[in-house]
Amino acid sequence: MNPLFMSILLIVGLAIFTRTMVQKIQLLMALEPTTRANHISERIKNVVIIALGQKRLVGRKKEWASGLMHAFIFWGFCVLLIRSLNLYGEGFVKGFQLPLFGDGSIVGYLYIALKDIMEGIVLLMAAYAIYRRAIVKPERLHNTWEAYFVLCMIGVLMISDLLLDGARYNLIMLHNNPGHLHFFNNPQFGSEFAWTPISVGAASLVSWMSADALSYLLGGMFWLHIITQLTFLNFLPLGKHFHVITALPNVFLKSLGYPHEKTKVLDLEDESVWEDESLGINHIHQLNWKQGLDLYTCTECGRCKEVCPTYTTDKPLSLHDLNDTLKLELLDNADNLIKRSKLAASIKADTDPEKVEEIKAQMAELNCKKTLIGEVISEETLWACTNCRACEQVCPVTIEQVPRIIALRQGQALMAGVYPQELNVAFRGLERNGNPWGIGYDQRAEWADGLNVKIMADDSDVDYLLWVGCAGSFDDRSKKVSISMVKILQKAGINFAILGKEEKCTGDFARRAGNEMMYQMMAQENIETLNNYKVKKIIAACPHCLNTLKHEYPQMGGNYEVIHHTDFIDQLIKSGKITLNKSLEGALTFHDPCFLGRYNSIYDQPRSILQGISKQGLTELDRHGSESFCCGAGGGRMWMEETIGKRINVERSEEIVGKNVANVAVACPFCLTMIEDGMKELDKDEQIKAKDICELVAENMA
Amino acid sequence: MKILTTVKKVVDVELNIHVENGAIVEDGLQYVINAWDENAVEATVQLKENNGAQTTLVSIGGPDNTDIIRRCYAMGIEDAIHIDDPALEKADSYVYANVLQKVYEQGEYDLIITGKQAQDTDNGQTGIILAECLKIPCVSNVVAMEVMDDQHIKVSRLGDAGTEIIELELPALVTVTDSINEPRLPAMRGIMMAKKKKINVMDLAGLGTSFEEVGGADLKSEIAEYMTSETRQAGQKFEGDAKEITAQVVNLLATEAKVL
Repeated sequence: MNPLFMSILLIVGLAIFTRTMVQKIQLLMALEPTTRANHISERIKNVVIIALGQKRLVGRKKEWASGLMHAFIFWGFCVLLIRSLNLYGEGFVKGFQLPLFGDGSIVGYLYIALKDIMEGIVLLMAAYAIYRRAIVKPERLHNTWEAYFVLCMIGVLMISDLLLDGARYNLIMLHNNPGHLHFFNNPQFGSEFAWTPISVGAASLVSWMSADALSYLLGGMFWLHIITQLTFLNFLPLGKHFHVITALPNVFLKSLGYPHEKTKVLDLEDESVWEDESLGINHIHQLNWKQGLDLYTCTECGRCKEVCPTYTTDKPLSLHDLNDTLKLELLDNADNLIKRSKLAASIKADTDPEKVEEIKAQMAELNCKKTLIGEVISEETLWACTNCRACEQVCPVTIEQVPRIIALRQGQALMAGVYPQELNVAFRGLERNGNPWGIGYDQRAEWADGLNVKIMADDSDVDYLLWVGCAGSFDDRSKKVSISMVKILQKAGINFAILGKEEKCTGDFARRAGNEMMYQMMAQENIETLNNYKVKKIIAACPHCLNTLKHEYPQMGGNYEVIHHTDFIDQLIKSGKITLNKSLEGALTFHDPCFLGRYNSIYDQPRSILQGISKQGLTELDRHGSESFCCGAGGGRMWMEETIGKRINVERSEEIVGKNVANVAVACPFCLTMIEDGMKELDKDEQIKAKDICELVAENMA
Repeated sequence: MKILTTVKKVVDVELNIHVENGAIVEDGLQYVINAWDENAVEATVQLKENNGAQTTLVSIGGPDNTDIIRRCYAMGIEDAIHIDDPALEKADSYVYANVLQKVYEQGEYDLIITGKQAQDTDNGQTGIILAECLKIPCVSNVVAMEVMDDQHIKVSRLGDAGTEIIELELPALVTVTDSINEPRLPAMRGIMMAKKKKINVMDLAGLGTSFEEVGGADLKSEIAEYMTSETRQAGQKFEGDAKEITAQVVNLLATEAKVL
């Protein structure tokens, strides 16, 4: 076409893009380290399923239409990458063909057919996206000019390429190809245009034009396409469409083995960390680079807030706004952070202690000044989160919200000493008596009086340790659950014991409320006790205990096989050790606890048990399984007041009431409390009975 | 303003206390800061934060009192005196008051804040005896406190019929209830920093006194024996409709309680 013009466009376009990207990458490299370069094959699998396969977009029933829309635009762009390369080549060499994709093989023909159909589909999808934004207006979307601008650019890219091919078709077929334009015409596969119905359709729209006009149109569309594409490329990193570039790496680098990055075991004995405020996240430079990449990648699609139990009940936590706010703070500090990291690198090279001190002082000058909580994000926003992970489960680009919230809470609880004061009572209880209620630790096993339950201190030669948990030990309602569990285990002839007064809170809520010190205190003491008895297998009747024992204690040297009571009961049933009667009257539903489902992927076992009990089978709630709605008590919220907006447990209880059931099964003591309270609030506690699965099993055993 | 605050380490009353042969079974017990003293510490720290006071804490007890002293440091107390003398093991309120008097005399304090009583003995005497020994004004059961000027404070005292507002000339002593504040949980950072702070540990000789001088050799009161109080029996739950329940209750009132 015009090699000089093409060269100028490419050099300018790519130079600006490279400069932007280098800055963005430098900024990430200036953040804290984290390791993500392992398990490459698993990472590639994630990219194939979640990113390339667009699993979280097309896989959600209630959003299948918009999911497919996005997926087709994405897939279309993937296909059109090759076409773009070809066009850049044509800018330099007339009739340029990429190896493999030329007219010599079926691959080239198949490709142009696919490209043609994809351009048509992408154009339709872009139109649908504009319609959806402008007319349907889904509540979760931020309707910004940026979104329309990008959609229009996508439209221009498709139209320009289709008209380019349309003009070419007309010139070749209607005007005898005056410019000797190249087109596929392999005797074996026929003419190119037999494979490109959409372009031919576009040609018919401009068939009235003269040969000269068509030549101008062809040139115009070519350059419009190239310029739009380079503009698009340079526009992407500036806003939420950066995800076009960062989503794939972000999915590739997501946490493995646990749904999100585990909370680090902080070295609290290191005096320097208390002095230089480096525990938790207090300032934006304390994010790690993956957390920075998460911020780059947020598409502001709003799925997170739509499923968030706090946002939907009018709490001031809108996760995509939180991402956006943090991203702006990060970008505001970009120059200083990049300078700071260069200084950090120079420290390593310098051995003169005086010089090192000087550099350290310079680095401290460049630290981000704003304290995140208070100056950037409000306290109410931070403490609203229930750690339920609904946001992470639906995020199409696998952004990890919860670890960041916990780290921010650590900054508040450990460094600033600022946190909801209601937590004091629970922390004090934990500190003194190893349970958030603060009831004397010596009364921990009183629920088991007369039940003939072994205590480890008396006899530790058992197959299983039953981890009762604080609720099961001290909360009158949950004690009934513990008693039911004992009945089941005794019926099945399981050789088990409890720790009795040696058991302490696992520290789950303390850790999630940012009180790492209290968590470590609890964990250390428990691990010492468990290791002392050489415990191998633990049955936990609380998903929070399960999660902490199973996933977090190994960080501190506590390695056990931990199984949730629903999972264990399901095994007992399947192995015939207990038999159920299908004797439960009335419709039954199940509320999935977040820490059982989304954290530990236990969805089927509770359902399998309940199917075996209920005469009427199981009625699913609208929000169930991996998209279950939190009861409101996770993340330490059990011990905080809920004063803003609607109560989360009431919202959930209303959903249950709406299903006209007589029974709601739960599998977590916090859920049990919250749902029962919700039912009382709605004056439905007589009609709808909330029970733990093991209570239902104990009542319906043969 | 210089404030002296007293803290005692007491048995955790959340635990079941067992008595054998007239003595408390120590096995399994744990000791914590007296809850009302924690309110006193909080009140002291709040005065420091709001009015710029100098804060000193005094605690009488064995070496393991260090943890509650550090806790008070973490809450914001600046200096601590730890009177650790094995001779004081059986001391009563009067002896404690005498020891505290010695501490007071060495420091020229403007205000003494104590908890209204200790959770273990529930005597509620030490603060009041101390004020008497020092011949300074004393108000007990204080629920609010306000500094008027260098010489005066205004306190609210919860009485049986209502609240008394009392203006006090300093130096003075107040004992506080748990209504006065919600003690802060020490900031984690404070706890770590408090580990390094020095505690001024001394025995009676170090304090410039002796066991005899504080009245230890001639105790005014002595614990002779502990006994367990009878536990309340569980209630009885009636089920059925109102008519049935009424019949059951009337029946039991007649046959078991024999009041009808």
